[in-house]
Amino acid sequence: MAEVVFDGVSKVFKDGTRAVDELSLDIADGEFMVLVGPSGCGKTTALRMVGGLEEITEGNVRIGERIVNDLSPKSRDIAMVFQSYALYPHLSVADNIGFALKTKRVPKEEIRRRVLETARMLDLEPYLKRKPRALSGGQRQRVAMGRAIIRQPRAFLMDEPLSNLDAKLRVQMRAEIKQLQSEVGVTTVYVTHDQVEAMTMGDRVSVMRKGVLQQVAPPEELYNRPRNMFVGGFIGSPAMNMLEATVSRTNGSTTIVAGEMSVALSEPTLASHPALQAYDGRTIVLGIRPEGLNDAALAGADGRPRLPARAELREALGPEVLMHFSVRARAAVTDEIRELAEDAGDDRTVEQLGSLERTRLVGRFGAQTRVREGDTIEVALDEGALHFFDASTGAAIVDEAAVAA
Amino acid sequence: MRSVALGLRLVILAVFAVFFVAPVLWLILAPTKSDHALVTGSPFSFGSFHQVSLAWKHLDAFSDHIFRTWIGNSLLYAFSATAIVLATAIPAGYGLAFGTFPGRKLLLTLTLIVMIMPAAALVLPIFLELNSLHLIGSVLAVILPFSFFPFGVYLAYIYYATAVPPDLLDAARTDGCGEWLTFRRVALPLAKPVVALVFFFSFVADWNNFFLPYAIIADSSQYPIQVGLSDLLSSTPSFNPAQGGGGQQVNIFRPELALATLIAVIPVAIVFLLSQRALVRGLVGGAVKE
Repeated sequence: MAEVVFDGVSKVFKDGTRAVDELSLDIADGEFMVLVGPSGCGKTTALRMVGGLEEITEGNVRIGERIVNDLSPKSRDIAMVFQSYALYPHLSVADNIGFALKTKRVPKEEIRRRVLETARMLDLEPYLKRKPRALSGGQRQRVAMGRAIIRQPRAFLMDEPLSNLDAKLRVQMRAEIKQLQSEVGVTTVYVTHDQVEAMTMGDRVSVMRKGVLQQVAPPEELYNRPRNMFVGGFIGSPAMNMLEATVSRTNGSTTIVAGEMSVALSEPTLASHPALQAYDGRTIVLGIRPEGLNDAALAGADGRPRLPARAELREALGPEVLMHFSVRARAAVTDEIRELAEDAGDDRTVEQLGSLERTRLVGRFGAQTRVREGDTIEVALDEGALHFFDASTGAAIVDEAAVAA
Repeated sequence: MRSVALGLRLVILAVFAVFFVAPVLWLILAPTKSDHALVTGSPFSFGSFHQVSLAWKHLDAFSDHIFRTWIGNSLLYAFSATAIVLATAIPAGYGLAFGTFPGRKLLLTLTLIVMIMPAAALVLPIFLELNSLHLIGSVLAVILPFSFFPFGVYLAYIYYATAVPPDLLDAARTDGCGEWLTFRRVALPLAKPVVALVFFFSFVADWNNFFLPYAIIADSSQYPIQVGLSDLLSSTPSFNPAQGGGGQQVNIFRPELALATLIAVIPVAIVFLLSQRALVRGLVGGAVKE
């Protein structure tokens, strides 16, 4: 077991693409670190550089005390779980799991004992003699895990190990991997594009975009205090709503105006976002988490601001209703938002999104809501769910440091 | 309409059957008949098994059992050369598929060019080369040129590049294998189908190669079977009237010739059956999620 440290690591491919750009990241001994981001953000490349499967162009990667830049993969003492599982098809499950030990010339009797022990941990005992092709997807995934944990390596590297499983199995394996990791206590770097996996599994989560590290934080902090628009939009499902808004200060009170809606900010909000003062009269991007939007009819007279809206689509999930509704306001259009929309598979162009008179938002309504598609409704807004971003830099407007020059 | 289509299909199939199957059938039946019956009787009649054993006696007696020597020579040449081909072509294809060394593209192109070049075009330069190495007259003079089999390299390359996921090799590397062990313990066992394929093609190419040994070997006791067959042919009176009427009685007629040809096919058929087993089923199933 050991810490894994990226020190100004970059990867430049032959065609000049900068897949990873000056990544600096300390992963503590025993920590479960998730690298997350849309496809092509460099997370897998970063992982493969730790594994020695990709040359490091600039900077150093350290595992424990050793800088491993020039070490071959076999000398790094790390175990990797691949997205494709990469099980050896010509070997039985037992031989797959014991492969690394055999390479290290561990005595046969000990290999047998440890394979059995590992198989028990993963409920693979009945399948030890089978070939991988005779296993289900979930079993194959567990064999891949077994091959890694039997090693007791200095670090686990996992490259989207769950993305080939169906949804139900994925949730189950998510918990199992997390539990296994805390049992064996091996430093783990886990790559995924699924922000739910990132949030549920990581001790800390690193969000990457186009090869650049955006923010490293524990899941709650990442969710509650995203450092920029990209992190805010990427983390959370349904995604944060983004509107174009202006800040206006009139006799002491600060109001955020987005189309038809205007929200006078309360004292605590202003106190926690001092930098907002400097944006008087300027355009910003207003982010609203879906849980900050509820059916006003359910909220009662609590003094929260109301937005007039038209219900468009109702998705009943049981404990809550995801309500899609439109408001008279302009959707924020930035590079980040374009990228996030593409990643989510939204093929409307950003220009289309921006030209819409009305903008669609999503709110988490209480299950008792009687709102139906087409209704004209009032939506209660929770100020605590608001996030403010600089329209040009995308940085969160929190304190003075975030103010654009 | 349907019956017309069916009838048409049957007619076409019948024409092809007659055209392609008839000569083979004729060849198989030929050794069962005497030379006289072969030309006068019905072409597809069966003679007798006695005639077959008689034909074998004549064939075996030819030049003091030299037919056996020829078969033996062919086996020696084809197996030795194929062994060298397997030992070189599989690692070469592996290297071309996964390597990232300078000149890789060039090597691939060269492999392709040499592969499509007619083998006969190289016979003269090879002869001169062997001559200057003083190898003419040794068995190496046949085995070494036979061992050059770019098609095998290309097959191995295609197999590795398309059927073996690179993740498997990366998994072996992180599991503690160096480059040699990665090849030995993962890439090579997975190559079973292509080993069988290269084995088969190389063996057949060597077994059937006539022109190179014909040009290089002077001593008839070193002939492979293909060159021997042409020797037999020229000893058959009906093909070479100068022969047979002379001092020695060779007793090689058309049925003996047909028998020799049939026997020469048997090793290829056996090799085909053996390698086909490994070919039927790919090995990589279950390695990665498809």
